[in-house]
Amino acid sequence: MTLLAFARGPALQAALLIMIAGIFWRLAGIFLLPPRAQHAAPRHSLAGRIGGGALMIVSRFIPHHTFWPRVAMSVVLSTTFHLGLAIILLGGAPHILLIHQVTGLTWPGLPKGLIVISSGLTLASMIVLLIRRITHPVLRMLSTVDDYLSWLLVFLPVLTGILLAGETIGGYGTLLALHILSVELMMVWLPFGKLMHGALVFAGRWGMGMNFARKGAAT
Amino acid sequence: MTDFTYLPDEGLVDALIMEIADLLRRLIEHGEAGSTVLLRLPLSPSRLTLDHCLGQGEIAVLLDAAGRSTIRETSFPGVWWTTHADDTGRVIAMLIEVAFVPHIVRADIDDVARGCQRLPGATNAARRARRTVA
Amino acid sequence: MDDRETMTETLCAMLARRGFGRRSLLQFAIAMTSSLALPPSVAPVMAANLAKAKRRSVIWLSFQECTGCLETLLRSSSPTIDSLIFDFISLDYQEALMAAAGDAAERTLREAVAANKGQYLLAIDGSIPIKDGGVYSLTGGRSNVEMLAEIATNARAVLAIGTCAAYGGIPKAYPNPTGAVGVDDLVSGKPIVNIPGCPPVPEVLSGVLVHFISFGRLPDLDDRKRPLAYFGTTIHDQCYRRPFYDQGKFAKSFDDAGARQGWCLFELGCKGPTTHNACASLKWNGGASFPIESGHGCLGCSEPDFWDAGGFYTPLAGGSPPGWRNAGIAAAVGVAAGAAAALAARGRAASARHKAGPSPEETP
Repeated sequence: MTLLAFARGPALQAALLIMIAGIFWRLAGIFLLPPRAQHAAPRHSLAGRIGGGALMIVSRFIPHHTFWPRVAMSVVLSTTFHLGLAIILLGGAPHILLIHQVTGLTWPGLPKGLIVISSGLTLASMIVLLIRRITHPVLRMLSTVDDYLSWLLVFLPVLTGILLAGETIGGYGTLLALHILSVELMMVWLPFGKLMHGALVFAGRWGMGMNFARKGAAT
Repeated sequence: MTDFTYLPDEGLVDALIMEIADLLRRLIEHGEAGSTVLLRLPLSPSRLTLDHCLGQGEIAVLLDAAGRSTIRETSFPGVWWTTHADDTGRVIAMLIEVAFVPHIVRADIDDVARGCQRLPGATNAARRARRTVA
Repeated sequence: MDDRETMTETLCAMLARRGFGRRSLLQFAIAMTSSLALPPSVAPVMAANLAKAKRRSVIWLSFQECTGCLETLLRSSSPTIDSLIFDFISLDYQEALMAAAGDAAERTLREAVAANKGQYLLAIDGSIPIKDGGVYSLTGGRSNVEMLAEIATNARAVLAIGTCAAYGGIPKAYPNPTGAVGVDDLVSGKPIVNIPGCPPVPEVLSGVLVHFISFGRLPDLDDRKRPLAYFGTTIHDQCYRRPFYDQGKFAKSFDDAGARQGWCLFELGCKGPTTHNACASLKWNGGASFPIESGHGCLGCSEPDFWDAGGFYTPLAGGSPPGWRNAGIAAAVGVAAGAAAALAARGRAASARHKAGPSPEETP
């Protein structure tokens, strides 16, 4: 079996199944935990609490103005690379093709040049963030294997993807196999490390927003 | 229906024109003939863009040997569009030759020598051929 | 003229006998240098070498094959100088073409090997089954494995013609019940040239033979032992529809508006980007067309295991996902594991509360 056939066949199946099982394991494990007993009466109705949950998902995207001088750089860089990833994944024609194969949904893709620019910005911002993590004494102290591995497993797909789209370095077949395999590695790691924030951040903000609304705190 | 065989060749044609210009310079300065192969380039099947660029010249040579070949001078003297085909008409080579006269047009010295030996017997051979027909 | 007498005849003499002059040989050499991606200036040198060349013996063994490779080479011949190269080689053994059969055929093979020891080219088409002692393909009671081992020993070089001989091809497709393998898996210590394709482009074989006869050596090969001149680029790099790929213009289904405009067939499963072959430039049926020009994506037939590379109509950007049923099972397994973890956590919390006794709020 060639590397490409392995990447598009058994490896894809195994990675997807592990990721799905892992995500459901984490979500079920969290949502089925016993809720903390709330003894005070809620300040808002259920509708108000739901609204609070929804509002917090959105409001936490923008840091409070008090913190802005300290966090501006990392917020701008993180937003850049997250937006870049979204543009690449949802606007890139080959990715839309894959989604179409699995779900039947399709939509027009973005011009290739725009995807290449997004990839470049994503890679650049990720590199700057890594340098920051390594050079900042507190961040370095807090960083674990999870942090670096998660960074690497997101960086590699974007890097192999831009090389593949450029079609200048390396053979197409080899680069395609490496790109798909790097995505599969990321999928396998996703449920077990901090990449899981992709699913949890919304649930977490929602839960916190509902809780704050219950207590009458600002969201 | 759109003729999809006429495709955006301009980029490749520009590159070919530059190569031909370089070959012409070498011909002028050093008398060196050169050529560039067309058949395996990803040009559109009709090659219309290149054809329009180079145009038609004054001379066309028809070679009837193992197959039919046409060696056609373009509107640029010294630039020849050569197409070699087998005798079923299948194109087996296509190239742009830059030369005062393409190599295959010139008679080979050994062939000339053999012809020279055959010449004295030519009238007798023609008489025999006429008698066979009659 | 006896075949044995013509073995010492040069190609020039043979052409002269058939009424072809030097211009014919030069025409042919120009075509061959173009086909072999050699500089056109090499053509006169090749013509001169060919003129002096003597006949070369070729022994052709057909193993686990459909005869498509041989048919494609036969169909390519026409009364042209190109086919003369096949006349110029002495095809001393080929089971489909030769008149001899049975014992006479086996004798022919033995004599051809003995007469041309160390000099003959061994051409193989078809894969070689090795399972169960190679019983799944026998010729005259002898297994292909045994025949290959014996005949390859005294060959000058081995040409593996077609994807089956090169990599195992169709017989090797999952589950490969006969244990089919390619020539390279069995022969060592001999120069091997793989000429893959299902079937291979006929000009490739004539190009390899001409190169060998003109220059006395095989052409440069890539890491899969394929002639670089023909397999050095992908279909994608030579495809005339490439401008549409670069512009993002793809046909979405067969015969839709885009397809009629000749747009790129990537989304219809074309394997051009990962397939090395010369179809896009040399084309098929005497340069008439090739699959993409006729509106169908490349199948990737000159690459190993192309039958097991997922569907022909699944784009390279897609693959073989696990399916909704398996995804559902994985989700259920995940939920079960999560529920078990949550239950365990609840149990630990309850046990801790029990040990701590009633909380201050709870005591009356």
